[in-house]
Amino acid sequence: MTRKTFFKESKELFRDGRVRITMIIVALLMGVSIWISARQYQNINEQYKVAKTSERVIWDSQGEKNPHSAAHYGTYAFKPKYPLSLVDQGVDKYAGTSIFLEAHKRNEAQFSAASDQTGLARFGDLTPDFMLLFMMPLIIILLGYNSFTKENEMGTLTLLKSQGISSWKWVLGKWAALFLPILILTTALFMVAGLILSNLKDFGVFDWSSLLWMYLIYTTYYIIFVNLILFISAKTKKSGISLVVSLSLWILSCLAIPKAASNIAEERYPYPTRQEFAANVLKDKKQGLDGHNPWSKEAKLLKENVLAEHGVDSLHKLPFNFDAYRMQKGEEHEAEIYFKHYNYLKDQFAKQSKVYKGMAVFSPYLPTRFMSMAIAHTDYGTHWDFSDAAENYRIATQKFLNDDFAENSAYGNWGYRADANFWKQLPAFKYSPPKLDTILSQNFSNLSILSYWLIGSFALLLFIKKM
Amino acid sequence: MITIQNLTKKYNGQIALDQLNLKVNKGEIYCLLGANGAGKTTTINLLLGFIEPTSGSALINNLNVFEKAKETKKFLAYIPENLMLYPSLTAIENLDYFSGIAGKRLSKESLISFLKEAGLQENAFENRITAFSKGMRQKVGIAIALAKDARVLLLDEPTSGLDPKASNEFGQLLHNLSQKGVATLMATHDLFRAKEVATHIGIMKDGQLKEEFIASDISLHGLEKTYLSTMNYKEVEL
Repeated sequence: MTRKTFFKESKELFRDGRVRITMIIVALLMGVSIWISARQYQNINEQYKVAKTSERVIWDSQGEKNPHSAAHYGTYAFKPKYPLSLVDQGVDKYAGTSIFLEAHKRNEAQFSAASDQTGLARFGDLTPDFMLLFMMPLIIILLGYNSFTKENEMGTLTLLKSQGISSWKWVLGKWAALFLPILILTTALFMVAGLILSNLKDFGVFDWSSLLWMYLIYTTYYIIFVNLILFISAKTKKSGISLVVSLSLWILSCLAIPKAASNIAEERYPYPTRQEFAANVLKDKKQGLDGHNPWSKEAKLLKENVLAEHGVDSLHKLPFNFDAYRMQKGEEHEAEIYFKHYNYLKDQFAKQSKVYKGMAVFSPYLPTRFMSMAIAHTDYGTHWDFSDAAENYRIATQKFLNDDFAENSAYGNWGYRADANFWKQLPAFKYSPPKLDTILSQNFSNLSILSYWLIGSFALLLFIKKM
Repeated sequence: MITIQNLTKKYNGQIALDQLNLKVNKGEIYCLLGANGAGKTTTINLLLGFIEPTSGSALINNLNVFEKAKETKKFLAYIPENLMLYPSLTAIENLDYFSGIAGKRLSKESLISFLKEAGLQENAFENRITAFSKGMRQKVGIAIALAKDARVLLLDEPTSGLDPKASNEFGQLLHNLSQKGVATLMATHDLFRAKEVATHIGIMKDGQLKEEFIASDISLHGLEKTYLSTMNYKEVEL
């Protein structure tokens, strides 16, 4: 009976011209979105490669120079575009692609793609994640809203009942017929994405297991929607009502609740404004050592401590350049300040994430979105991770430069110049995003919520007693 | 095959069926006549298990309809006034699906033979139901009953809206089924068709079975007269 119902429903669906046209349009849109994303991925990675190489060449060919001048001259940490961003672009567009690394200052990522776009960008982009997160649930609604109501409206329900239909097998047949086209479209999209990614140059950290996990997450998301739409169809008497209720569910789940979650999170755990943040950092910086100011109270104290430690009475008698030493100590103090304030931002971000996770109880969209972005390395978590890695590299670079200045020159010798080959000794910035198992364990709560949604939606199906 | 004993159904205290007793044996065609609201459809719905009785019992093939709903459905087929099938499926596909629901796995040849036996013209077998007339849909309904090998047939106004030819063909089909031993209970307004096909006729009013005849014992005119007087209608002189 399940098989018969499945084939009957599938025939009805595919013989419906509207459904055929919709499926063709969706398949085309998916193809176009993948093609656009693949082009973007290639272009950005080419730019990344060029920028990374040329920036390193510029750094390496500074010639003879004072290391502290080089520290102010600075360099860049570039964020690569990760392969699965082809499927989910996440916050990449808004998060910035490079961080300028210089002395005394931790900079934010800049040159976001969104800042290069016109106001038309507000309409959103045609990306695979848009298709997967928003359009596919709509397709499920289109295909399934009248799954049960039509039997009542067409009058076939009485004949089915008189034939002694088993409600459970009937529901299962309808479930399979609704889920199959969605599964085919999703599988096709992920297969194409996987094939494109495995054939692209510089495909970085792409691995099939991440893609498979993403596929499983989206499949679960669709199963939840299929269950909910069938439940609504079974519990409403008319197709029109079923459609309205289903669309309301979509609006709530995919649009309203995520927006509300964002507003609630921002309201409860606000980030400081840019001005406040800068003022707070400056205030804390002033309370500590300024590497450039030898006359400050902190610098004098440092000088006394260092002299005492080395048992000498003059900075000239120290075995290193105290100016460089002081600047390094200033850097360490400033880095501490930055970590303190950025940790506060991260803390707020973590609290906001908790609000989102709480709201995910009302919307399967939220855990799916977070999981998808995390696996694609396009979430804020990965961006923070990259930002911290860049900061650690900045601190290490400053130490590398200050140490050379301190070890190879004497106190007061601001004319010291490092050898032209010295710059090449600085290791290149390397960043590895979190591995899949780390991401999964970090997103355990999202996985759990999605699982609860899955179990809950199947439980709803059990309540269908239309017969 | 069908035994109804003291069957009563009340809706919010309002009596729809009042202590009905009725029996339809193997090969018999029992026509229930009556005006709208007489309780004919309620009787059929009770036999189908679509509604619960207030009291009384109904047996199909000696199984209580209300206790063994699933089992009794194996023996019966139902054709409502407006048999609705899936419009985007062909006659064969509809027959295949509804037979499948009843647990029958039939080859295409068997499905075709049932449609032939039900009298559907062969060039319509592969056509979608959307273009079918009511008479053609009723024939598919009969094919569904044949495919199910139903021993009991419940019909609710099956000939209303059919043209005389289609109605006559339908009557012939019922006769054929009766020859095979199928017990038929048909609710109808059509006195002429009832007289034509029935072996037994009952007249219902206000949920009660007021009159019961063996069809061959009464003429069409006599049936009409009895019906009108039971309904308290005046016979109009022509």
